[in-house]
Amino acid sequence: MEGTVGKTLVVDDFATMRKIVKNVLRQINITNVAEAEDGKVALDILKRDPADFELIVSDWIMPVMTGIDFLKACKEDDAVRKIPFVMVTAEAQKDSVLEAIKAGVDNYIVKPFTPDKLQEAIQKARAKPQRQ
Amino acid sequence: MDAKFINPFLIATQNVFKTMLSTQINLGKPSVKANNLTLGEVTGIMGFAGDKKGTFTISFSKECATYAYRAMIGEDVPTINSDVVDAIGELTNIISGQIRVELEKLGINLRASLPTVIVGQNVAINFITPLPVITLPFSFDDGGMTRQLFIDFSFE
Repeated sequence: MEGTVGKTLVVDDFATMRKIVKNVLRQINITNVAEAEDGKVALDILKRDPADFELIVSDWIMPVMTGIDFLKACKEDDAVRKIPFVMVTAEAQKDSVLEAIKAGVDNYIVKPFTPDKLQEAIQKARAKPQRQ
Repeated sequence: MDAKFINPFLIATQNVFKTMLSTQINLGKPSVKANNLTLGEVTGIMGFAGDKKGTFTISFSKECATYAYRAMIGEDVPTINSDVVDAIGELTNIISGQIRVELEKLGINLRASLPTVIVGQNVAINFITPLPVITLPFSFDDGGMTRQLFIDFSFE
């Protein structure tokens, strides 16, 4: 991957999926990673130091605060809205994809995925011009 | 239960194993389940609601469950522990998503709950529906050993 990526926030209620995503990120030299088990914890982490983060990779279906609510909260917050947001989810139904696009997701990848597919999704999300 | 409903479960399970675990699994002979007990040592359970309601489970022997963890994460694990249970929960979640995609192609829209994982053989499961429960037995090769896992489902 061209360029370096600063801190990445990986959000998933399953530790297994956080490990899988971190393994894929490591393959593209992204090693500075913070983890959260739901959207609320993730939002708290982001709000403490939003400038520290350059990428968010989040699940959809999580307890406490879902990924879609987390995405909407991010895109409504001036301090974090520019951080590329990649949704990695088992929710593949058309309505779900459309809802995420409407909420401003920068890329959307459906589980199951190969490492190549996730890497490509991250690259595309980072290449997108971010809304002001 | 209409036989056409077997395909979504078959396609989804094979696809997830191939993509996430790099493992080809083969379907044996489907059957009607004689009871509502878990067949394996670790079982992921997912409820469905929406156009239909029901339940599906995926049940692993100890060897199968530790294989799945190793194949997903790339780390050996000697026995069933909280990491393996977590991995089976996520696998259940991913397969559930793919099943719903396949059923959507048949015009059936479903929502899923959060997965539950239980550890223990011969644990009774409430499949919600009064309809028969279908068992899909899958097998795969693990270094020369044949391993089996079971999908059970019922919905109306």
